[in-house]
Parts: sequence; C-alpha cells; structure tokens
Amino acid sequence: MSRNGPLALAYHTLFVIFMLMPIVVVCWVAFTPEGFLSFPTSHWSLRWFYAIGRYPEFISAFWRSLGLGALSSAFAVAISVPAALAIARYRFPGREGMTALFMSPLMIPHVVLGIAFLRFFTEIGLGGTFTGLVLSHIVVVLPFALRLTLASAVGLDSRIEHAAISLGASEATVLKRITLPLVLPGLVSGWALAFINSFDEVTMTVFIAAPGTETLPVRMFLYIQDNIDPLVTSVSACVIAVTVAALIALDRAYGLERLLVGKAGHGR
Amino acid sequence: MSFLELDALRKTFGAQVAVDGLSLKVQKGEFVSLLGPSGCGKTTTLQMIAGFVDPSGGAIRLEGQDLLAVKPAKRGLGIVFQSYALFPHMTAAENVAFGPEMQGVGGGERAKRVADALELVGLGAFAARHPRQLSGGQQQRVALARALVIRPRILLLDEPLSNLDAKLREEMQIELRQIQRTVGTTTILVTHDQAEAMALSDRVVVMNKGRAEQIATPLDAYEHPATPFVASFLGKTNLLEGSAVRPERIAFATSGLAGTVRTRIFQGNHWLYQVETKSGLVTVIRQNTGEDMPGEGAAVHLAWGTR
Repeated sequence: MSRNGPLALAYHTLFVIFMLMPIVVVCWVAFTPEGFLSFPTSHWSLRWFYAIGRYPEFISAFWRSLGLGALSSAFAVAISVPAALAIARYRFPGREGMTALFMSPLMIPHVVLGIAFLRFFTEIGLGGTFTGLVLSHIVVVLPFALRLTLASAVGLDSRIEHAAISLGASEATVLKRITLPLVLPGLVSGWALAFINSFDEVTMTVFIAAPGTETLPVRMFLYIQDNIDPLVTSVSACVIAVTVAALIALDRAYGLERLLVGKAGHGR
Repeated sequence: MSFLELDALRKTFGAQVAVDGLSLKVQKGEFVSLLGPSGCGKTTTLQMIAGFVDPSGGAIRLEGQDLLAVKPAKRGLGIVFQSYALFPHMTAAENVAFGPEMQGVGGGERAKRVADALELVGLGAFAARHPRQLSGGQQQRVALARALVIRPRILLLDEPLSNLDAKLREEMQIELRQIQRTVGTTTILVTHDQAEAMALSDRVVVMNKGRAEQIATPLDAYEHPATPFVASFLGKTNLLEGSAVRPERIAFATSGLAGTVRTRIFQGNHWLYQVETKSGLVTVIRQNTGEDMPGEGAAVHLAWGTR
C-alpha cells in the first residue's frame, strides 16, 4: 500500500474529526450538572446518568430495542439464506424480480413505509403491537441481511457441494454440514448489520410504535420534543458505551473487518 | 459384459449439442481418458456419469445396472475436481473421513481407513492441517484420498492436475498412475492435455464437438490417427504427399525433399526445426545426440519412412 501524502493525511484527519465530533460532544454534555444542554461544561457530574433511573420507560425501551433488533434480524437472516442460495445458484424466471423485491425497502423512504404500515397494521389489528414492530423491521432490515448472505453464497463453489453429494451425503446433510458452515460468515455479518439498522430505525418506527411499545430511539425522539434537559445525552452516552464494548468483544471473538466487510472466512 | 457402458449418450443445452451420441465401453480396472479441446463435451460426459447433469438421451450402465436411475449420492463414485473442492472448514483428515461417515463406517474402522488413505497419497503427517494450510499439490492429494477412501466403483478425475505447475504435474502424473495401479480402481480422466492423457491412460477417447473421433490406446491413436483432428490434437504433425508424418519420423538425408532451415530451436533433449520446402513448412524433431546439426539457412534434404 502506498503512503498517503500530507494533503491526503490532513483530509482524512479532518474527516475523522468530523465523524467523531458529534459523539464526543454528546458524551461531554452528558456529564454536565446543569439542567440544560451546556457546552462546553465547566463542572462535571453524573447527575443525568442517575436521572435515567427515574425514567423506567427508557430502560424498558432499551430492552425492547435490543429484542426487536435481535428478533427481526434473525427472521431476516432466516429468509435471506434460502433466498440468497436460490439467487446465487439458479437462473429461474422471476429471479431478477425477486432480488429487486427483497432489495426494494432500501429504495422506499421510511416515512412512506411508516404511514403504510400504520394504516395496514390498524386494519388487521396489529396496530401498536410488538408483533407489528417485528414484522415492519423484518422488511426494512431484510436488504442488509440478504446483501451479505448473498455475497457469501455467490462465493460458494458448487463443486464443493457436488463433492459432498458424490461421497454419499443427502441434500439435508450437505446443507447442514457443508453449505451453512460455508455461508456462516456472511450470515453472521448480515445479522449484525440488520441488527444495527433495526436498533437505529426511528423514522418508520415512530409511526408504528404506541405508548408501551416504544423503541429507544423513538422514546428519545419523543422526549426531546417536550424537554430540553440533557437526559437524552446521558442515554446516548450509555448506548455509545454499550456499542463500543460490543464492538471490542466482537473484534476479539470474530474480527471486526471480517464481520463488517463480509470477507469470506475460509480463504485459500 | 463391460464394467461401465455409455450407450449413445446425448446432452443438449437448448439448441447447443454438448454431447452427441457418445458410446464407450470401459473394462474393470481400466484407465480411460476423455481428451479434447474445451467445449468438446468431455466434462459434460463426466458430469452425466457423476449424476450432476441429466442426459438428454442414451444410457449409462455400471455392471449392467442402469446408473441413471440411481441418485448421485448413491452411485458410489469418487470424484476429484480441478478446483480440488475440498471442504475448507474441515481438516485434511475430516475431509477424508466425510465419505466413510456418510457410508456409516464407524469409529475405529473409519479412523484406520482415513489414515491409510492419507498414507497412500503421502500425506500422513498433514492430517490435522486445513486446506488453506496446504499447497496446491497437497490439496489435490487430499482430494484424491477423499475420493479413494470410499472405495469407489469408478474414480472420476476432472482436469485434476491442470492447476499445478509443470514439474509438479509430471510428478503427480507418475504418482497418480502408481496409485491407480495399486488400488486398481476403474478410472475416467477428463483432460485437454494430450501428454497427460497419453502418459496415464490405457485408452484415450479423443473427443471433438461432442463426438468421439477415436477410441484407442495412446500409442495406436498417436501412430494411426483416425482423423486429421486426432492427428493434429495428439501432437505436431506434417501433411506430406497426402499423409500425416510425425516430426520425429523425418530425418536429414543426402537425398529426398529439398529445403532450407528457417528456424532451429534447441530444447535440451531434442532440436526443433522448421524447414522451408516446396510442400510448405515442415516441422522436424531430431534427438540431441551431441552431433553437429544443420544450422539456420542450411540447405538440407528430408527423408521419412513410409509406414
């Protein structure tokens, strides 16, 4: 790899600062003792972290967001695996259409999806329910799960499966012992990316969630509409801390680059 | 009755004919090569035997049994691919153990068979390595051990040595031949490399455009090519006075076809000549015996025995 020139280095430094600054500011403000968003703050306090304890709806919204992300991503991956194998393997009528359909949530504005789901769920009696949240989130995270699953399915040499068949393996055995382990890296990174997107989703969810089924971003969004105190910054700081801890754990266990870039885990 | 019999085997992909009525009888223990340029239908033929491609017509019989009625997983054939197709998430030993496990061969017997198979291909010490930790040649040996350990009725080799470099390929050819002799498994090799086919096979099937141009022993096909295609595919050839003459059969003489040496290339054990004559350019190969040979621009006469 060639070394960067001073100009490129300066550019990259500015870019990183630009990316990180908002996060730094939020974490900084979270430690203010004041009753408003004061920056830069001169005194330090954990006041707003203790304050979270007085808002159990934030805690429950956090757990709901985790559960929602985990569940909808798991379903999205479960749908993606057979879809990705079919798209990667076979040429069949409607193949292009199917790929486009699965990818379409990327193209549709989430505001539109939110209104559509609100109307639809009210109609079929799922309005404001957790089931409704899961269903809608499956739709929006599916493209991310499919994208990465597809990448590993396309990279799969079908002769490896042929070899297994010739050795006497049934189709179910080939899937369990050969195909799934080989697409596992794509499957795991697909799940992770889908989870992040679900956890982050607010534009659509704000239409669908009702009091009692609010996700963390929705709860925060609704809170800052009525309040100007730094509670949301301390909540944000906690989320950032959890995220960093999770990323470090993932990197140790699995390798972050492999996870997010979707690199094949079994290169020659 | 022959061991393996292909009867008027045919495969079309849309309007394209990949295999066009191929018939072949293979004896038990025989090593037969399907030889031809890419697109001649040799790989499709192999895949039909393996069961990964369904024939459009014709029959395949193994020991008198209709093979097409048997599922690929139940045919009991060992296959080695050009890309090795090892299971990358398993060690060499686990790769080799996969087949016996599928056959329901248990613990001790399975371990013994795996060890024997790895020993046979000279990889006894590499059992715990993953494919990515092995060289190309070693991976190919694991693939061979994995195919042989199930004691296949037929061993199918799909361009197995094409990914190896020239020197290693030659070593593996000799080894493959010895292993096949030791185990005695009936073997079908698909290759585009005429030298490889001739070195390994009891018989070659020279294929072109989905048809068998000639089925013969390598020596027979080389010496008595049935068609101009076979003659040109199985090595260099000169068309002289209406008959095909191999370059190594032409000698420099005091009389005969007159010509001028255009190029002379030294290739170690032999000299390769291009001689300009009134019948066109003639390729001549002469053994290097240490004697002085005509140089470029020299006037020569060419003579060859008529057989």
